[in-house]
Amino acid sequence: MSVRVLNPNAEVLNKSAALHMNINAAKGLQDVLKSNLGPKGTIKMLVGGAGDIKLTKDGNTLLKEMQIQNPTAIMIARTAVAQDDISGDGTTSTVIFIGELMKQAERCIDEGMHPRVLVDGFEIAKKATLQFLEKFKTPVVMGDEPDKETLKMVARTTLRTKLYEDLADQLTDIVVNSVLCVRKPEEAIDLFMVEIMHMRHKFDVDTRLVEGLVLDHGSRHPDMKRRAENCHILTCNVSLEYEKSEINAGFFYSNAEQREAMVAAERRSVDERVRKIIELKNKVCNGTEDNFVVINQKGIDPPSLDLLARAGIVALRRAKRRNMERLVLACGGEAVNSVDDLTPDCLGWAGLVYEHVLGEEKYTFVENVKHPNSCTILIKGPNDHTIAQIKDAVRDGLRAVKNTIEDGAVVRGAGAFEVAARQHLVNEVKKTIKGRAQLGVQAFADALLIVPKTLAENSGLDTQDVIISLTGEHDNGNVVGLNQHTGDPIDPQMEGIFDNYAVKRQIINSGPVIASQLLLVDEVIRAGRNMRKPS
Amino acid sequence: MGLQTQPYGIQGMLKEGHKHLSGLDEAVVKNIDACKQLSTITRTSLGPNGMNKMVINHLDKLFVTSDTATIVNELEIQHPAAKILVLAGKAQQEEIGDGANLVVSLAGELLQGAEELIRMGLHPSDIIIGYTKASNKAVEILEGLAEEGSDTMDVRNKVEVILRMKAAVASKQYGQEDILCPLIADACIQVCPKNPMNFNVDNVRVAKLLGGGLHNCTTVRGMVLKGDTVGSIKRIEKAKVVVIAGGVDTTATETKGTVLIHSAEQLENYAKTEEAKVEELIKAVADSGAKVIVSGAAVGEMALHFCERYKIMVLKIGSKFELRRFCRTTGAIALLKLGSAVNPDDLGYVDSISVEEIGGARVTVVRNEQGGNSVTTVLLRASTDSILDDLERAVDDGVNTYKALCRDSRIVPGAAATEIEFARKLKEFSFTETGLDQYAIAKFGESFEMVPKTLAENAGLNAMEIISSLYAEHSCGNVKVGIDLQEGACKDVSTLNIWDLYVTKFHALKYAADAVCTVLRVDQIIMSKPAGGPGRRDQPAGMDNED
Repeated sequence: MSVRVLNPNAEVLNKSAALHMNINAAKGLQDVLKSNLGPKGTIKMLVGGAGDIKLTKDGNTLLKEMQIQNPTAIMIARTAVAQDDISGDGTTSTVIFIGELMKQAERCIDEGMHPRVLVDGFEIAKKATLQFLEKFKTPVVMGDEPDKETLKMVARTTLRTKLYEDLADQLTDIVVNSVLCVRKPEEAIDLFMVEIMHMRHKFDVDTRLVEGLVLDHGSRHPDMKRRAENCHILTCNVSLEYEKSEINAGFFYSNAEQREAMVAAERRSVDERVRKIIELKNKVCNGTEDNFVVINQKGIDPPSLDLLARAGIVALRRAKRRNMERLVLACGGEAVNSVDDLTPDCLGWAGLVYEHVLGEEKYTFVENVKHPNSCTILIKGPNDHTIAQIKDAVRDGLRAVKNTIEDGAVVRGAGAFEVAARQHLVNEVKKTIKGRAQLGVQAFADALLIVPKTLAENSGLDTQDVIISLTGEHDNGNVVGLNQHTGDPIDPQMEGIFDNYAVKRQIINSGPVIASQLLLVDEVIRAGRNMRKPS
Repeated sequence: MGLQTQPYGIQGMLKEGHKHLSGLDEAVVKNIDACKQLSTITRTSLGPNGMNKMVINHLDKLFVTSDTATIVNELEIQHPAAKILVLAGKAQQEEIGDGANLVVSLAGELLQGAEELIRMGLHPSDIIIGYTKASNKAVEILEGLAEEGSDTMDVRNKVEVILRMKAAVASKQYGQEDILCPLIADACIQVCPKNPMNFNVDNVRVAKLLGGGLHNCTTVRGMVLKGDTVGSIKRIEKAKVVVIAGGVDTTATETKGTVLIHSAEQLENYAKTEEAKVEELIKAVADSGAKVIVSGAAVGEMALHFCERYKIMVLKIGSKFELRRFCRTTGAIALLKLGSAVNPDDLGYVDSISVEEIGGARVTVVRNEQGGNSVTTVLLRASTDSILDDLERAVDDGVNTYKALCRDSRIVPGAAATEIEFARKLKEFSFTETGLDQYAIAKFGESFEMVPKTLAENAGLNAMEIISSLYAEHSCGNVKVGIDLQEGACKDVSTLNIWDLYVTKFHALKYAADAVCTVLRVDQIIMSKPAGGPGRRDQPAGMDNED
């Protein structure tokens, strides 16, 4: 160029160069995430700046932790993260699907096709696939008592892609039970009511569901009980410590007597509050063996703790805000903000409250509650990376169960949907379309096959063989998926492999959109500001 | 780097300074290599004849020890895969308190086996399946090896306790276990509560005092506090104690107070009222019958004066936790501050408190012979700080072993007898399997040979000879035959009295297998640029320079 329009430092890519950069980036990202897909996917080890280790198979975690810089890759990664926000799973599938769409598009474009025509084809194919998905899904009736078996199958399918089999199977029950526990009829499921707590202790298979709550702190007084049965629980948000006045106040005294009086007066209001709690305790526990537990969101200072301890009350201070809500759901009663009109109705009840000390960390378990509407998944593992891995998996599992209940439908998995959708597009939809858009539909249909292909590849099977045998079965009218161990077709319904309807819909919806956007880019300009170190 | 020249693949997408390793050769084999190097370091410290390591950490503190948990902790391992091994070792240390070396060395050996298998052409996932099967089988074998009748024991029987503790202590302080074990056992048994499950490691304290020798080590029922008493009373016997968590001084308001004085008279009177108030407080203590005040914070000059006058001993314990322990020892309930009345129920009792001079350091010895379930202190004496530290670690291991045996007292033959049995049984088991995993199972078994081999090597014996004769004995049915390191021969461990705890072996096995499988499962490593900040020190010796 003889005359430069742009800042000399700016970089410009145009026409096919821009397109190819985008395609390459999409393919590159696909390559990275490809090996994660499915139960046989491999684990990636991420080493952070400070040398901390993270092991993951979860596409979402991986994308978050990898500091991606390529602009195209960032766009794709954002779509995938959005996928996770909406449906909680399917990030890897999204990324590889986009990558594959780009790859198919590249082939067509190299043969001289205009991206615009391709994009039109994608759009038609997307609509047709979504319609097909509506037909293909397996409805699940969600009455008052959801079918536990179906939920378990969905949860198992998700968890097995994140963790090894034994652990996944164990977590399946935990995840399903916890969602059913927090579920209230006629209300949307609030997964925040499932507390996820971790302890660095024992083995990963010791992870369990606590019907109740686990708090990550203990009582702060040595004389309080470590274990109490039949407890009345007072959940409150009342400051039980002396707080300095806002204004600058001072005392004037001229002898020690006066000062003593001041000291007493200073504490009076706090002591008064403590006294009210103790009164309530005496009222409800009068003469029985019952115990009384105070869980306070605000602080309790040492003199108040001392008073409470002497009255035989177990007191916990500075509970987390979110736990206050959960406590009330788990134990009953209500959270009080003032001790002025305490009645026994405000109290919750738990069969057992005990403290567990692990090194320097203390944990308080509130268990054996009557009608839990909140529960805790207690994750155990010998080290932090195991715990983090389980935590991510549990979160996805919970989302999967919730999605199923809300969708009222599941989709047969193990690649069955993708193969069926492809056959539908090629055999039915393509014929109804005139002109070059057909090629776009064909490209979209072929791109769908990436899921079973990658599943096969990760299991060490031959991709071509697998695809041929799967499409063959589908042409005969059987809906089959891939058996990861043998490479033979299986019926996902029989094997209990189900994916979320919401996940699949989101993938089909967002994948082509981002791919179309990227395909229609014909110029990339990076501003002249030098972001990198001068090389 | 311009947009045009961006390389294909992941490298181009990440921030500069990122590293990305993937595939069998780049990731798996390199990981194995790093882990092997780590285990080579720790291996020579295995067993009673293990060598000591001299580790100088980033604070220039010197460690001379054969305790793996300490070594790996101070090595600052950077390589991510090796770190997983370290974490497994730490988990073992936290869970059981002993056997960290076994975890790291065994894991290293298992990974070496895995590497050979990979070179043979096995896929890591086959190896993982095989290793998992083998470790489950090994647990079964371990159950079978547990000594009959050992599951029920009296945790207060000193002889039995020493029997179980000896191997753990001997691996840290070989030759001195006969002196240390009875001390530790005594201390543990004294503080063992009614329900042994609730045994608290914290109740056995260790006081290290420079000077003297191992023979001067003793146990004290009670506590040994460093430092002197505050007042002039240095010795008291059979006294009641009051514990005050706050300071012993005039009370103060939380809000800032100002003394308002109008005349000289008032000034004079103010000091007097103050005095009267403090005297009142101290008098209340004296009236309650207490002879000792233990304060958690500063003791005021004036309060001290009155204490002296009422012949009350004053002791200051700065640490909150130490103060709680003191409460446990004496049975006192800590008061927040000096009040007008002292409740007699809140008082504690001590047999004696005395200031003694041991090896140039003044220590306050608090004895409480009556309290059954309180605190016991093991008083260690040695000539240098590093020996003291090492002794302390040996005591810690011993105490942890006691805790473990309170939960599960089953024992298995020590001196490598269990390991040889593992190797033999797993080899047999591998023949019954038909898939590719049989190779992995066989390797898993073979890896256990590392233990007798290392024990023998560390003792300067001929390892091959020992192993073959061990195998010979074991196949004849003498499953309790292990190595007698002193004589360099194979002997029945029941005559040697070397036993290991079942739980130690169980957890070591589990953690090692777990760590190995985790390392093998990884096929890609993505490392971000090391964080900035002050430049890192030179990498410690033996570390993989990969990162």
